[in-house]
Amino acid sequence: MIRQIVDDVYQIGISVAGKEGHEAVRVYVILNDGHPILIDCGSHLYRPQFMQEMEEVLDGATPEYIFLTHSELPHAGNIKSVAEKWPGIKVIVSNVLLAYIEILPVLPLSQITAVIPGTKLEVNGRMLEFVDALLKDQPGSQWIYDSRTGTLFTGDGFGYFQDESLIDQFSDEIDGGIREAQFQAYHYHTFRFLRWVKPERLGADLDTMFTRRPIHVIAPIHGSAIRHDISTHKERLKSALANVRAQYV
Amino acid sequence: MYKRDQGLGRGTGPQSPIPDPQKGFPMTTPAKVFGTGLERVAVRPITKNIWWITHCLGDLAAEFYSDYFAVLPNAEEYAGKRVVDYPFSAFLIVDEQSMLIDTVGPKQQDAMMDALAYMLGDKSLDYIWISHIELPHAGNAAVIKRRYPNAKLVTLAGGDHYELHALDNAIQVAPGDVMRLGQHEVEMVDALFVDHGLSHWCFERTTGLMFTADWAHNLHEPACNECFMFLDEMLAGQYTTELFVDDVKVNAWYQFPWLAWADEDEIVTAVDRFFEQYDVKILAPSHGNIIRSDFKQYIPMIKEGMRRAVQMPFSNHL
Repeated sequence: MIRQIVDDVYQIGISVAGKEGHEAVRVYVILNDGHPILIDCGSHLYRPQFMQEMEEVLDGATPEYIFLTHSELPHAGNIKSVAEKWPGIKVIVSNVLLAYIEILPVLPLSQITAVIPGTKLEVNGRMLEFVDALLKDQPGSQWIYDSRTGTLFTGDGFGYFQDESLIDQFSDEIDGGIREAQFQAYHYHTFRFLRWVKPERLGADLDTMFTRRPIHVIAPIHGSAIRHDISTHKERLKSALANVRAQYV
Repeated sequence: MYKRDQGLGRGTGPQSPIPDPQKGFPMTTPAKVFGTGLERVAVRPITKNIWWITHCLGDLAAEFYSDYFAVLPNAEEYAGKRVVDYPFSAFLIVDEQSMLIDTVGPKQQDAMMDALAYMLGDKSLDYIWISHIELPHAGNAAVIKRRYPNAKLVTLAGGDHYELHALDNAIQVAPGDVMRLGQHEVEMVDALFVDHGLSHWCFERTTGLMFTADWAHNLHEPACNECFMFLDEMLAGQYTTELFVDDVKVNAWYQFPWLAWADEDEIVTAVDRFFEQYDVKILAPSHGNIIRSDFKQYIPMIKEGMRRAVQMPFSNHL
């Protein structure tokens, strides 16, 4: 379902049922005054839905960039269709991602640029920053910060499972927002390395990241956007991460 | 077929002495290479019936890995000293039933299919065992399944939303389960150190071959003709055990950046327990040169490499 999050930032995507709730797969579209940017490009397994919704939001505009949070199937599996539809599109990936082997070979490697964390890219006057993903299930993962709207696109981080009836709702449209248990169930499955992670150490880095820039919206790929009570949701995630560790220790 | 091995329980490893996998087997069998450049794949037997299938860049490595050490937090210790290469490997066990462990990536698809045909001959492929679903590990699963339609995908049990990863029809196995292929028995292993959630390792009991996916691997130098070499062959040349420790550290930092938030004693203790549990004779990681002999001597080096990795910072760009 297409939903406007804030200003010119839109959320699209699908969800699938699971034992612990529905899991969303998002693509975020930043219209950017006629110079659109895609955050991830979806999975080829649900190609018709992703392509239809992307084209509807773009309304004839040609996206200039895909910023890939990482190259796993739900995030980049649809790149063949996107490349066929918009062959000039440029792709920005983490410098730890080896494009020639970790992305489907459907675009010239010259259209794929690897950036180190800390890189800032101006697109039509809009500043976007690539930051090191704190929660990554693939080494070549990055989070992206849009300074115009204060949106942090967090890839797999901050994902959560949800009831089917609420899957497309934003946090502020749900009574109580996103619960700690929802974060916990998702992060337990997605980041099994959390069994080794001292939660207070990871939590301190999470605090640092959120202190260094104003964050008004958290946009996970496996959830709908969190656009209120950012600090509360960050604290819930920290508690959830500690609980995951406790499940192992 | 696979089944829970009640007799041994979970992860107890083999109960009888492991035969020497190299007994009567030529140690110097050369690699056979399929394809070239970005597409090339080489195959080399590790034992009589277990093949190493590996892609690396060789002469092209300098184009792709020039920054490999330059982005490390302490880059000055490494930069400019070595031009390294980084392999992506799969393994094939040929028996009454055959099992492919990972698939290499779509860029190497044609070479991989030729290599499989060469190794299997007229034998069937029965299982495609997936360590985790990143493209270089699983990206050829669909095309291999089309060529060998009776092959079944195998993945880790206990996850959720398998459909998202095209694994909804895969056989699900848990740590401790055993798949009997004939003479070979493959035990499922709880992967200690992972990136993707649906990750597991496996242990072939009769040879003592432990497949560890992204963990505990070295780097090699094409300029030293180290492509497709076993580690003992590299050590007979210019490679050193000191470099091995450093490589384990650097690669762990890349693969498992979360180590920065771990406790080094917990990590090292876990490694100790792991190698107490499994009598490993051959270490077969996805991204390194295979250790096929005198494995025990490497355990302290792996532990030291992991200890140093934990001491590295996460990132300067939060």
